Amino acid sequence: MPRALSDALLAAALTAVLLTPIFGLHIRVDGVNVSLNRTPMPVIVAVVIVFLLRLFQQPLQRLWAKLRAPASWRENALTAALGQTVQQPRYRLALWLLLLAAAMIWPFTASRGAVDVMTLALIYVMLGLGLNIVVGFAGLLVLGYAAFYAVGAYTYAYLAQQYGLSFWWGLPLAGGLAALTGFLLGLPVLRLRGDYLAIVTLGFGEITRLLLNNLNSLTGGPDGIGNIPRPTLFGLEFNRVASEDGTAFHEFFGLDYSGNHGVIFMYLLGLALVLATLFVINRLLRMPLGRAWEALREDETACRSLGLNPTVIKLSALTLSAAFAGFAGAFFAARQGYINPESFTFIESAMVLAIVVLGGMGSQLGVMLAAVAITVLPELAREFNEYRMLAFGLVMVLMMMWRPQGLIPASRPPQKLPEHAEATQ
Amino acid sequence: MSGFSFLEFLQQIINGLTLGSIYALIAIGYTMVYGIIGMINFAHGEIYMIGAYVGLMVITGLGLFGVHSITAILLVTLAISILVTGSYGWTVERLAYRPLRGSPRLVPLISAIGVSIFLQNYVQIGQGARDVSMQPVLTGGWRFGPEGGFQVYVSYMQVLIAVITVAFMSGLTLFIGRSRMGRACRACSEDRGMANLLGIDTDRVIALTFVLGAALAAVAGVLVSMYYGLVNPFIGFIAGLKAFTAAVLGGIGSIPGAMLGGVVLGLAESFASAYLQTEYKDVVAFALLILVLLVRPTGLLGRPDVEKV
Amino acid sequence: MKTFSRHVLSAAVTTIILGLGSAAHAAEDTIKIALAGPTTGPVAQYGDMQMMGAKMAVEQINAKGGVNGKKLEAVVMDDACEPKQAVAVANQIVNQKIKFVIGHLCSGSTQPASKLYEDEGIFMITPAATNPAITQQKYKMVFRTIGTDDQQGPTAGRYIANKVKPKKLAIIHDKQQYGEGIAKEVDKTVKAAGITPVLFEGINKGQTDFSALITKMKKDGVDFVYYGGYHPELGLLLRQSREQGFDAKYMGPEGVGNKDISAIAGPASEGLLVTLPADFSADPANAELVKAFKAKNEDPTGPFVMPAYAGVQIIADSIKATKTEDAVKIADYVRKNSFQTPIGKVAFKENGDLKEFEFVVFNWHADATKTPVK
Repeated sequence: MPRALSDALLAAALTAVLLTPIFGLHIRVDGVNVSLNRTPMPVIVAVVIVFLLRLFQQPLQRLWAKLRAPASWRENALTAALGQTVQQPRYRLALWLLLLAAAMIWPFTASRGAVDVMTLALIYVMLGLGLNIVVGFAGLLVLGYAAFYAVGAYTYAYLAQQYGLSFWWGLPLAGGLAALTGFLLGLPVLRLRGDYLAIVTLGFGEITRLLLNNLNSLTGGPDGIGNIPRPTLFGLEFNRVASEDGTAFHEFFGLDYSGNHGVIFMYLLGLALVLATLFVINRLLRMPLGRAWEALREDETACRSLGLNPTVIKLSALTLSAAFAGFAGAFFAARQGYINPESFTFIESAMVLAIVVLGGMGSQLGVMLAAVAITVLPELAREFNEYRMLAFGLVMVLMMMWRPQGLIPASRPPQKLPEHAEATQ
Repeated sequence: MSGFSFLEFLQQIINGLTLGSIYALIAIGYTMVYGIIGMINFAHGEIYMIGAYVGLMVITGLGLFGVHSITAILLVTLAISILVTGSYGWTVERLAYRPLRGSPRLVPLISAIGVSIFLQNYVQIGQGARDVSMQPVLTGGWRFGPEGGFQVYVSYMQVLIAVITVAFMSGLTLFIGRSRMGRACRACSEDRGMANLLGIDTDRVIALTFVLGAALAAVAGVLVSMYYGLVNPFIGFIAGLKAFTAAVLGGIGSIPGAMLGGVVLGLAESFASAYLQTEYKDVVAFALLILVLLVRPTGLLGRPDVEKV
Repeated sequence: MKTFSRHVLSAAVTTIILGLGSAAHAAEDTIKIALAGPTTGPVAQYGDMQMMGAKMAVEQINAKGGVNGKKLEAVVMDDACEPKQAVAVANQIVNQKIKFVIGHLCSGSTQPASKLYEDEGIFMITPAATNPAITQQKYKMVFRTIGTDDQQGPTAGRYIANKVKPKKLAIIHDKQQYGEGIAKEVDKTVKAAGITPVLFEGINKGQTDFSALITKMKKDGVDFVYYGGYHPELGLLLRQSREQGFDAKYMGPEGVGNKDISAIAGPASEGLLVTLPADFSADPANAELVKAFKAKNEDPTGPFVMPAYAGVQIIADSIKATKTEDAVKIADYVRKNSFQTPIGKVAFKENGDLKEFEFVVFNWHADATKTPVK
């Protein structure tokens, strides 16, 4: 008991030290006078709670263990059967198709705000899948992914503003230019190892953002670029009033104008882009190039000794990854209609990285789920204002503790050697 | 830009050194943690921010009690601030990083980003998003140069920053180099597994590293609140990014490297602002980082990366 | 077990997404006004001014019995001044069928959001976004109760050129839309008057050390500095200038005209020149209102408090006068009529800008008070 008591006292003292300057004292600046307000209540309450919890930690833990005892519910027969069913390729395909169908029908039943938030989530899905190539598959830590995203967004915005280029021309060009940026950055820096690569990409991300803010004649500086046209559906526009030589979607089909058409169209377009991204990445993963990425992640030395050129492999991963960021950027610019450098800060890179890690590195389904969760959760809690970001940070920490391998860890069925290979031994 | 002036150049060096000292103090925290557990502690900037808040609070409080002796203010403020941020450093490590020991490299990094977001908003809830500020406690300085022309100005505060930085850095170097605990730290950064086998309580060493890093961040925080007198919940992010850059520039994992990196970064920013445009100073800082890493992939004073198999 | 948690998760996410849709409230016996602006993030303190002013207006109007028998209801929507979140907020507003918006605060988030409001027929009035581009789109639904950068910049520029006549002028800005926009307008005006600034450059937002820049200006013999931006950076600039013995006079826009500047710069803020909307809280007509703010321990002197109050009042008055809640009709009415508000008698131009919004040059004092310059 004395041991528990001293522990509890220590914990209580620590709590007091931690909380007093933040919640117990409040700096008040009123005109030129600075004063300190004392608000001891929250601190006292917290200290008492910590003290009691710590004092009765052992009994509480025992109680908890008792409550948790019937834990076998997780492993019941039903879920096991379900699990096995899902594992079969045939059902797996069916499940994917079902999900896809749901994703396509959903926007017609949901509210506009929800569809719009999901569109944003789809952008993050694209970014997550793209970054997953370098971080998840090739095992390279990139902390400046927002730079490629920005290059894509600005390419489309600039071309649309200066040359009136449509989204369908802007999209490939944005991807292309972002890929080129990735390639040019990769050439000199990819020989750096591990965390140094991370720092250089971080620096590159910051430089890109600062240049976007400083090169006023090209990027509009802090004013950004506005009036970026939305994509059209075979030339049909989603505006209330069509431009001079265009036709509006609702006029063509004789519908009443509704902003929802445009929002749903953006969502479906985003969905199509995500599917295209998934398709391309999955094909690549089954090609020698994709295998080489993963081999490189597992063991660079072994790769080298097998005659694979690590620089080329890394470069291909970074270039491709940048290309997808470019596509996502162009789509983002089209959704916003207005971009400025504020949208491409370090936090953006960190968020995408968090998506990849939270989802489970290398796991595409996990990354997609995490992207949706990270976009949708803060949106749901919009009324809670500052508590929302507090909880968000906390969730990130807790997730890393409970599921460090991510929501859905990447799993790959082990490659079995052919039967006869074993027989010959 | 009308010609080159030696006195201006000298003044810019002084400006750069002051700024560099602050970066160096914060950079130590990054470099020590990285040296021992190989993790980028993104929440370190937030610890510095808390240190600055505490500094401002204590100085204001002392002012209300009528304490005006600069030595007393400095000692009390540093002591309290170090106590608080040290506790934060320890708690953050204990709650958010220790449970993740042994997981893949990126996991603690994400946790650190989470802690950083958490602390930023936590302070915002407690203290509000508004800037809080206070008046300087130490004013005045020395002037050199021709009467009526450009005079070089060294404020007492700048000298104080330099002196305190040097004092704490030497203290730290002595501690790491001579004390028993310091030796354990060095052993851990060489090979943590081995150190553990040889009977060093590595968890304690890691906790100590966080506390020491946080303490130096607190020193930086107190100096900043005395020198600039402006604190808000978001100052940690920018300062953290810069200090981290400084740590890598000097060679991450190396304590003298962090000091050198801080000073080089401070000077680079100062010169960029003086002889180019101020809006390009951060571009110059990050470009310098990339260039140095391309030429010396482990930073200025970093040891060559030994490949672990 | 792995697959089980997978199912739980996907089920949870689906529920959450479906839940998003059904958030619309049933009760429609109030008139909702969305207050869109930052309550988190680095500019939250300006958002507080906006929310404070608008909420006070809602309270006072409700205390007098509301509008046409209905109460007003303020719905705070945080956009953190991020363009991306602003679009999400705008869609939420469309979603909740709110027809009136006070906001947004930052020009960068107002711009993308205003297009949505225009398309969806939602009445928007910003008390704070000053970038001229916002009202250059010929939108029908977008208004503002604050002057624009191209009104304020020339006022400052003319004052510098005609009254100050500095030998060496430097123009500094914070590389943000607001600060740089206004600095460019000042630059244009003084150049037209034959003064070429020796220095025109940006600093970085959040920068705390300006010693290098000050040394440079000191060496170049600058005797007057115009700063485009907000008060924290200027406060530090003033303080460090004084410290270094650089004694040029400074001038700034309404973004610096905040009591906090004296808290940061102390005695160095004495003699700073600021262009501000006339001080509404000093207007005797607003004495009651100022008392009401003080009673709630709130500071009514912030530049966006009264414009936000005026925004709500204009909406309420128009609903009363037209006896409709149709936002398009309200916009029409607002464009054609004038209103008596705490920021004076206001009327709007065709593009939604105020017909008249006067900026006055003030002399700032170290005790955070100000006097108009004669």
